[in-house]
Amino acid sequence: MKTLQIQNLTKQFPSATQPAVNNVSFALENGEILALVGPSGCGKTTTLRLIAGLERPDSGSITINGTLAASETCFLPPEKRGVGLVFQDHALFPHLTVFDNVAFGLHGCRATSRQGRKREEIQATVLDMLRLVGMDSLARRYPHALSGGERQRVALARALAPRPVLVLMDEPFSSLDADMRLEMREQVRNILKAMQATVVFVTHDQEEALFMGDRLAVFQRGQIEQIGAPEEIFHASATRFVAEFMGDSDFLPGWARPDGIETSIGLLPQANNLPLASNVEVAVRADDIDFDPDEIGNAVIAARFFRGAFNVYRLRLDSGQILHAFKEHTCILPVGARVRARVSAGHPLAVFEKIDS
Amino acid sequence: MSSSTQPFSFPLKPFSISPRLALAAGLVALFVAVPLIYIFLRALGANPEDWQRLLQTRLWRLMGNTLALVAAVTSGTLVIGVGMAWLTERTDLPGRKAWRWMLALPLAIPAYIGAILHLALLRPRGGIIPQWLETTFGFPVPTPSPLGFWGAAFILTAFMFPYVYLLSGAAFRSQHAALEEAARALGRTPWQTFWQVTLPAMRPGLLAGALLVTLDVLAEYGTVALLRYETFSSAIFAQLYGRYDRSAASILSGVLVSLAMLVLWAEIQLQGQARFTQMEGNWRPAPLAPLGGWKFPALLLVSVVVSISLLIPLLVLFLWSIQAVLDPQTLAQVVRTGSQGFARFAWNSLWTSALAALLAVTLSLPVARLSARYPSRLSRLLARLCQVGYAIPGVVIALSLVLLVNRFFPILYATPLLVVIAYVLRHMPQAVRASESALGQLSASLEEASRTLGRTSLQTLFQVTLPLILPGLLAGGALVFLTSLKELPATLLLRPAGFDTLAVRVWMWASDGFYIQAAPAALLLVLVSAFPLSFLLRREQMFR
Repeated sequence: MKTLQIQNLTKQFPSATQPAVNNVSFALENGEILALVGPSGCGKTTTLRLIAGLERPDSGSITINGTLAASETCFLPPEKRGVGLVFQDHALFPHLTVFDNVAFGLHGCRATSRQGRKREEIQATVLDMLRLVGMDSLARRYPHALSGGERQRVALARALAPRPVLVLMDEPFSSLDADMRLEMREQVRNILKAMQATVVFVTHDQEEALFMGDRLAVFQRGQIEQIGAPEEIFHASATRFVAEFMGDSDFLPGWARPDGIETSIGLLPQANNLPLASNVEVAVRADDIDFDPDEIGNAVIAARFFRGAFNVYRLRLDSGQILHAFKEHTCILPVGARVRARVSAGHPLAVFEKIDS
Repeated sequence: MSSSTQPFSFPLKPFSISPRLALAAGLVALFVAVPLIYIFLRALGANPEDWQRLLQTRLWRLMGNTLALVAAVTSGTLVIGVGMAWLTERTDLPGRKAWRWMLALPLAIPAYIGAILHLALLRPRGGIIPQWLETTFGFPVPTPSPLGFWGAAFILTAFMFPYVYLLSGAAFRSQHAALEEAARALGRTPWQTFWQVTLPAMRPGLLAGALLVTLDVLAEYGTVALLRYETFSSAIFAQLYGRYDRSAASILSGVLVSLAMLVLWAEIQLQGQARFTQMEGNWRPAPLAPLGGWKFPALLLVSVVVSISLLIPLLVLFLWSIQAVLDPQTLAQVVRTGSQGFARFAWNSLWTSALAALLAVTLSLPVARLSARYPSRLSRLLARLCQVGYAIPGVVIALSLVLLVNRFFPILYATPLLVVIAYVLRHMPQAVRASESALGQLSASLEEASRTLGRTSLQTLFQVTLPLILPGLLAGGALVFLTSLKELPATLLLRPAGFDTLAVRVWMWASDGFYIQAAPAALLLVLVSAFPLSFLLRREQMFR
């Protein structure tokens, strides 16, 4: 049995011209973390809110742990769904202590048969949760006296305490500083995995999605463009949008040949079954391109960005096409130098038929 | 590469509106709007001959009188309010903290009590000051008449300027120092900076204050009646109370309310802009201007204002109260009037105002919730409808309720409940604004968190929402309580025979010339009003 099953989910807001979520289907295994990723307004947060029961779908169905939570004919309110939600702004209750915030979901729940839970039992559960997130020493504090990372951990403990069948996280790290975010996401992922939680995780940061997700679902305009393992999404992008969004790809024009793709920087030997001589684009990332200084080369260096451990070079091909390439940090070449660029990827690249615009 | 540092901005979701909430809010808005609509219908449906007669005789004179008073009081309060605010917020005036309180506290004194004192002190025959002058000099010394236009304008300005003072004080305070520094750097003198930058930047706050004053002047009954200056409000009251001409009263009310609606419309347009003056993260207060040699003239000026609007009234009320208590005959009159004791008036005042506050805040919740959580054209419309109370003066509410109740709910007629309903209708806007701002500051995700943690929407309301917005609701309730306590004309017109509140008693005794007898009740009214007022002031940045 799948922990979460979503079928043909659609939601249209009255003020919008197109649906926020448009015919979306996916399923989640027990213990799996699915990252929903996409640009602002792509429908990922609405999908999350639909699963939580904070929005009502127009059509389609949501089944949580075998129970129908929403369909055209039924709608289970959020308090009866048994899901835990971690909010973007954490939404800790300012009038309750850390302890009481975490205990909030354990008192008088109707969703599952937790009624009659004894006081000591609740106390023990709360302290266990706080220990798990490393906040047991601050249990008596109020939220306003916590740092961003601490609030984050309390919010997670609060969502996990009632042992929800499904944990939903809405951009939980977006309100943290950049270095805190890297630290938190590792901690949070470890906690979620230790609890064997089933998680839907929303983010607009592709790097975070690659890190957090066992699988990724890339959203655009209310629809799922591609769903799959992080490596699959990154290396075998199904659409041009996924390639562009997931890894700052450049798109190199080319012509299909039976034995490969002919491009302005040479033949890319890659078997394909595209129609002969059809116009295509090859998605290339900076790690797929290499170059050497060459007086009669095919490109010039347009800019160099020093990134500490490595340099990113921006190359302008004679056709005007822009490509990016990584070089080690010791390799410093002047802007304007002529070079010869080539594809150096050790793996097949994603090729898309050119769409005339 | 990683775009995670850019703030994630998805617009607040227009949820699907909850039908129960929309229904509740709609009912509240209907309740508030019905008296207004009914008055318009009665005005339009009035006898055409009455229209003819009023148009030919009194309407234009009333319009002229009313507008002249509005103009005089509004400009007077602007000059005094902004002036005082500048002195206490932007200069090194000694004792600014104490002056701030003394300049705001006149709000606890109803203008008609000011008018009573004004009359007692200055009336040409028998006034305390003319009498004292006569005995001192041995012959009658001519003094300016306390009555008429100038008297009314003086009293209303003296007791209404705190509105402008508070709003412009907050605006002075929240203004970023960099604004004036930029003007100076661009070559303006301090004087030019004040007129070209400081004041224009506070315009929303100033206009909001001025419009509040305007609405209050339009609604004012006690002062103008006592000082014999006829405006729409006092004319309508006279038609109802003396002549019992409901047709003429309806016509006058229709015109008055149209006038007030116009002002209210302007005020609502400005409401959003007033928020513009809110403090930003890197806010820095403007430096205080040194008064130097002007320190003593400035102190004198503030003292005069505070004396007229606070200290002299309090002192006189206090002295008279002592006098009333010491004189056995007066004391007997104060303690027992007919079959009713002093405690009964106080109790009547308290319970009607408290019930009105409770009802207004409770009724404001669905409307405020709808407009804060489900912003849409409908919810905005409902919230605006609930603001019309500002535009319906007490006399008009009374007239409308008398007509409505007589026709549809005769059982309510001449019960204290009708007085409470009038308070709720008139002061609903204050409750709605307070609840709206309290709910607006509460993140929707807190309520959603509670729902996902297993609480129903009702449990969420009691366990999360209400505890968090309680201070805001209390403020709204305090404001309704305060203004209901001071309310006079609707109470006079709607109360059952023998149902006296403090305000009514003060008014009855004072109109009969028993000033000393009225003093203890007036003093008590002021002191009781001072409590909710100081609670409200303490919430403001200026009084922390």
